[in-house]
Amino acid sequence: MGFVVTSLIFTVIGILASLCTRVFCNSGPSTNLLLVTLVITATVCCWMMWAIVYLAQMKPLIVPILTDGE
Amino acid sequence: MRRNGGGWPTMDLLRSEPMQLAQLIIPIESARPTISYLGDLGLFQFKDLNADKSPFQRTYAAQMKRCGEMARKLRFLREQMIKAGLSTSTRPSAGTDVDVEKLEVKLGELEAEIIEMNANNEQLQRTYAELAEYKLVLQKAGEFFHSTKSIAAIQQRELKAQSLGEGSIDSPLLLEQEMVTDPSKQVKLGFVSGLLQRDKSTAFERILFRATRGNVFLKQAVVEEPIRDPSSGEKVEKNVFVIFYSGERAKNKIVKICEAFAANRYPFADDTSKQFQMITEVSGRLSELKTTIDVGLLHQASLLQDIAHQFEHWNLLVKKEKSIYHTLNMLSIDVTKKCLVAEGWCPVSATTQIQNVLQRATLDCNSQVGAIFHVLHTEESPPTYFCTNKFTTAFQEIVDAYGVAKYQEANPGVYTIITFPFLFAVMFGDWGHGICLLMATLYFIFREKSLSNQKLGDITGMIFGGRYVILMMALFSIYTGLIYNEFFSVPFDIFGPSAYACRDLSCRDASTQGLIKVHSTYPFGVDPVWHGTRSELPFLNSLKMKMSILLGVAQMNLGIVLSYFNARFFANDLNIRYQFVPQIIFLNSLFGYLSLLIIVKWCTGSQADLYHVMIYMFLSPMEDLGENQLFVGQKFLQVMLLLLALAAVPWMLFPKPFILKKQHEERHRGQSYAILHSVDDPLEMDLHPNSHGHEEFEFSEVFVHQLIHTIEFVLGAVSNTASYLRLWALSLAHSELSSVFYDKVLLLAWGFNNTLVLIIGIIVFISATVGVLLVMETLSAFLHALRLHWVEFQNKFYEGDGYKFQPFSFTSLSEEDE
Repeated sequence: MGFVVTSLIFTVIGILASLCTRVFCNSGPSTNLLLVTLVITATVCCWMMWAIVYLAQMKPLIVPILTDGE
Repeated sequence: MRRNGGGWPTMDLLRSEPMQLAQLIIPIESARPTISYLGDLGLFQFKDLNADKSPFQRTYAAQMKRCGEMARKLRFLREQMIKAGLSTSTRPSAGTDVDVEKLEVKLGELEAEIIEMNANNEQLQRTYAELAEYKLVLQKAGEFFHSTKSIAAIQQRELKAQSLGEGSIDSPLLLEQEMVTDPSKQVKLGFVSGLLQRDKSTAFERILFRATRGNVFLKQAVVEEPIRDPSSGEKVEKNVFVIFYSGERAKNKIVKICEAFAANRYPFADDTSKQFQMITEVSGRLSELKTTIDVGLLHQASLLQDIAHQFEHWNLLVKKEKSIYHTLNMLSIDVTKKCLVAEGWCPVSATTQIQNVLQRATLDCNSQVGAIFHVLHTEESPPTYFCTNKFTTAFQEIVDAYGVAKYQEANPGVYTIITFPFLFAVMFGDWGHGICLLMATLYFIFREKSLSNQKLGDITGMIFGGRYVILMMALFSIYTGLIYNEFFSVPFDIFGPSAYACRDLSCRDASTQGLIKVHSTYPFGVDPVWHGTRSELPFLNSLKMKMSILLGVAQMNLGIVLSYFNARFFANDLNIRYQFVPQIIFLNSLFGYLSLLIIVKWCTGSQADLYHVMIYMFLSPMEDLGENQLFVGQKFLQVMLLLLALAAVPWMLFPKPFILKKQHEERHRGQSYAILHSVDDPLEMDLHPNSHGHEEFEFSEVFVHQLIHTIEFVLGAVSNTASYLRLWALSLAHSELSSVFYDKVLLLAWGFNNTLVLIIGIIVFISATVGVLLVMETLSAFLHALRLHWVEFQNKFYEGDGYKFQPFSFTSLSEEDE
């Protein structure tokens, strides 16, 4: 699927989630800011983890060596 | 002291609510209701203005004593109820608002009544026990006389029937024979009858024998069931005894010995008819007493039951009164004795609410004068107050456990809400276990309302309090489990086919050379082919270690950036220029560069050895990189970064103390000029006492402080980055344990093709998973994620030397235990 495409998907999901929290849990500007911060932090954390694992497998130096009798 | 970061929008929970020191002037007649309403509101923290007075000198000491008395009476009533086996856990019957004065009187009455009932009951029980013992003595001793008499009568008949004077085997007691058969030879014998404890009976016999030189005769009969001892009230095993003696002296000795052994003596008539009469009389009295006692107990029980219904309500009322007077004692009384002055902290946002409360109290008391609320200005540091809801409370408590935030400094709790469960999940990653955690915590969340009213045990209470934390932890664990591709250690290919395939169709060297990557990278997470291969561990270890470094460097950078925002908020330019900038440069030129190298190596697939690169960057920076070159210009970049890092260290260390010294001197110099020139300027006069407070500036102290800070940061940069490797370590442990339980327990049991073995295997698998992985590993990962937050993240920016806002509130009373 490609690194860039999936990262774009993560970004879009993050933006959608922030908009949803704005719409569904609207309770004052300072609370909204907190909720949006939380959503963005969560998105960034999840993206980082996915990106690290994806990048590590793009051009591998170690290949799987099966055990005997597999 | 309020400083603004300059036009930035506010965010809930990031900084403490602005607080103000307020002074309330309350007229005496409306003092009590005012405090009571403020307690209901729960937003005002009173300062103790009478701190130097002893508890007896305070204004409301008498009322406190009365409340203490009432609390004591309530405790007494509770003990009585517990003794009677009633529980007081009925919820307080809200509504019947009892007046405190009346309650006091009522409690006094109830206490007196119950004490009297208890005393009466005890007396009756004692009399009952004595009568019961007497009855036993009558029965058993009567049996002696009766049995021996009948045997003596039989003997008589036998003697008459046969003229042989043979004694039979069970010849009656010698003295019975004497008494019954030969009245002329009768010796005047007396007897003592009574009850004695069984375990003392042998000693009794021996002492009796010795004291009277064997001239007494003791006969004992065992009482089958334990009976109640009148003096101690407990059930003991007793024996009925009858002692036959002759002579006054013997009698005295026997009586004394009986008294010493606490043997109760009862009179006994040896006439049979009289015995019978006595027995009936005693039985009658016993049944009378029993009914009386039962009626008494019933009365007591009903009284206690009545009390039990209202107990919690009264208890709460008394506690409230006590706390109100305790608070009133903290207010200082005005000279005219007409009003009380209160000082305390409250949030700025609560001003209108407090003013409304004051007005309501004035109206309720029909007082002439209203209470006055005005704000004081002070240099004292206010308490820290965060408005948390049921979701954020647990996370804020986690942060507060380390240290309460200084007033208005950035609260790490904001990021902890997300990063703490995330780091937990990195160490826990298994979506099967994540689903189990989710189920468990959803149970607690759905039964929130009913569980919050119950009293839970210690551990369950803690889990219930942290249910939202565990919910976040479970959700993130499911995500990381999908990324690590582990469902109870079994991988799935949900997101498409594996990227690896055999080199050729025969798959000859799959076990020697391995597979090769033919398709594009597995789109989401770790490729499912890796599980169970021989090179799984080298691959995963490399991946997870590098991931830990990258996540760690990211979180530490976030910490340093938060310190920038703190410095901006408090308008502390020094900290920005001489602390934030060199810290960012130092951390990123070393470990940020390492992260960059990791990413470049992954992207290009080069075979460079990163250990080698980093170490030789320091040891011989000018040397050629050879096959470790990852990109063009790497050597130049490395030398630049090394120089920057080296320059950052003195940048952190030297300028700040010297500039602080210069600033202090300027201020001091400015002060002395002000004193000489304008004496009547009120502003300067105000500043003068302040400067005396801040006058101490020890340059050596400041310099050493800065030195420690610098060393801590520089060394910490290495050690903290390495500390993040625990993310790798725990994740490896978890996946290995999970894999062992699956392969060696479940699959082994499956291989036997026997249902019984399979069932045993499943049971062992489930208990091992729950006990080791779901409980122990959860606690372990929780602890390590906590440590990473408290130490590695927070020491970049957090001071945490504030104190928490603890308002006077009645809601905290009901959680207090007696």
